[in-house]
Amino acid sequence: MRAALEATGLGVRRRRTWVLRECSLSVPAGRVAALVGPNGAGKTTLMHTAVGLLRPTEGNVRVAGEVAFVAQDKPLYDTFTVAETLTFGRRTNTRWDDAVADRLTGLGIPPRRKVGTLSGGQRAQVAVTLALARRPDLLVLDEPLANLDPLARHDVMRSIMAETADRELTVLLSSHVVSDLEETCDWLVVLNGGRLQVSGDIEELLDDHLVLTGPVEASAAGARVVGESRTGRQVSMLVRGTPPQDPRWRARRPGLEELVMGYLRSPEAAALPRPAGVGA
Amino acid sequence: MIWVTWRQHRAQILVTAGLLALLGLLLLGSAVEAGRYVAEHAPPGCPGTDATCGDLAAALDRRYDAVYSLFGWMPLVAPALVGAFWGVPLLGREYERGTHRLAWTQSVSVRRWLAVKLSVLGATAVAGGLLLSLMVSLWRPVFRVGADSTFGNIGVFNMVGVQPAVWWLYAFALGVAAGSLTRRTLPAMALVVAGVTVTMFTLFRLSVHYAEPARVELSGTVVLEDPDARLVSAAWVEPSGREVTEPSVGGCPRGVDVGQSDRNARAWQACLFGEGYRYAVYYHPPSRFWRFQWTEAGILTLASLALGGLAVRRARRD
Repeated sequence: MRAALEATGLGVRRRRTWVLRECSLSVPAGRVAALVGPNGAGKTTLMHTAVGLLRPTEGNVRVAGEVAFVAQDKPLYDTFTVAETLTFGRRTNTRWDDAVADRLTGLGIPPRRKVGTLSGGQRAQVAVTLALARRPDLLVLDEPLANLDPLARHDVMRSIMAETADRELTVLLSSHVVSDLEETCDWLVVLNGGRLQVSGDIEELLDDHLVLTGPVEASAAGARVVGESRTGRQVSMLVRGTPPQDPRWRARRPGLEELVMGYLRSPEAAALPRPAGVGA
Repeated sequence: MIWVTWRQHRAQILVTAGLLALLGLLLLGSAVEAGRYVAEHAPPGCPGTDATCGDLAAALDRRYDAVYSLFGWMPLVAPALVGAFWGVPLLGREYERGTHRLAWTQSVSVRRWLAVKLSVLGATAVAGGLLLSLMVSLWRPVFRVGADSTFGNIGVFNMVGVQPAVWWLYAFALGVAAGSLTRRTLPAMALVVAGVTVTMFTLFRLSVHYAEPARVELSGTVVLEDPDARLVSAAWVEPSGREVTEPSVGGCPRGVDVGQSDRNARAWQACLFGEGYRYAVYYHPPSRFWRFQWTEAGILTLASLALGGLAVRRARRD
């Protein structure tokens, strides 16, 4: 399995504080990876190092092939028309596919409109098209769905997914809304407070974890507890691997959101592949 | 990349070209009108330094001053505008709008992006400055025959030769650097205006050191005959040959002048000259025009390269 993105011991320090530290991860080619974490977790920093906007303080990050990036808030030149924006892409890139760029016409976005006058959804489509027309091997999207209405979120996501279906394109997209990613992503990366907490295949992660509910007295001996929360005499916990022996526990498979929340609430817990597994 | 540079900066380039064209028309009109006036009113042998040419010279002076008052502020304002509207947006606006994250993540490297923009716009600024210099140099001789002031008058000096070109280049580089430092357009524009003003003042003070001043000893007058020279300093020379700032001679009464009259000062000077004093003037003769032009051009070009380098370093660091 080839890695599309590989970070080793990545760290970024801004003045005295580390915004990203000891981050080693690998995203296999062809995956749609979700990068989640609370605000200030280091998501944007990780992405900026991956696309070359930021030089890491320590460690390194490697990207296989061409990488295209859509930054947060979809920066575009507001005074350019849509057509001029596409010309900008054609002129500043070695690889450029006009057929992909033409999809904007199909979406009903007039080429002579100024980018600054487009709606949020249309702007997102232009930004995504600009990235897709480069025929990248890796597409990095920073909060592509933020500030979009539900319909636009759906349309933008569909545009990206249509492209991944056609060829081997790896996607890394960040969001702090997990529900946006549930249907589309198959790889999960969780960042929290500048540290990597989770990195792995979503199905395997969900298979490997259980949500247990039971009375407070029930023993969790023998289980690897990620985190727990109490409501009155009931306790609910996320465990990894085999469940504890105590028969008073009721177990079920977690949802993606439960898994993510379980880890975010316990910053010291981690579900990472062993070092040997990285890039394997 | 050339297309991108043109598309992003065409407004500034076109406005500058338009203003230069407007100024060119104004200068052309003024020169044609003055030429016609000379053809109709000039006495034989004029214009020239002849005594009969006084009226004509005065009439030409009035025409010259009318136009000069319109663009006399150009040596300061033109570079400030170039710095604020050509230089500052190059990086400042990209950072302010966050579009550097778009521009610098395409296949074109940051280094290439900056190299093309800095060289294309820098060269255009130099060309614009040279055009301004050419127009002013063609226009002035129509009015100025004999005595000229391209060297002695710092304002005119900065509008001819290679000065406009290097000033425009320097202001452009200053704008780019200011934009990369503040990452905001407005504060960077203020920095450029302040920077250009301070630099112009500093270089003016510094320019007396571009060469060893010439020295001449005057007797009977304290006024240097060449009106286009740059004065550096002056001193009285005692009959013994010693230079003093304040002559200590008891025999010459120093009266106080009231109002606009300088009768008493003149009498005092005449008395000193009678006592055997001479007046030493240190100055730069106008023959040093090109030496001063190139010295200042060198300083400003080096400063531009340093500022450009600073901006490139800051842009590539993160």
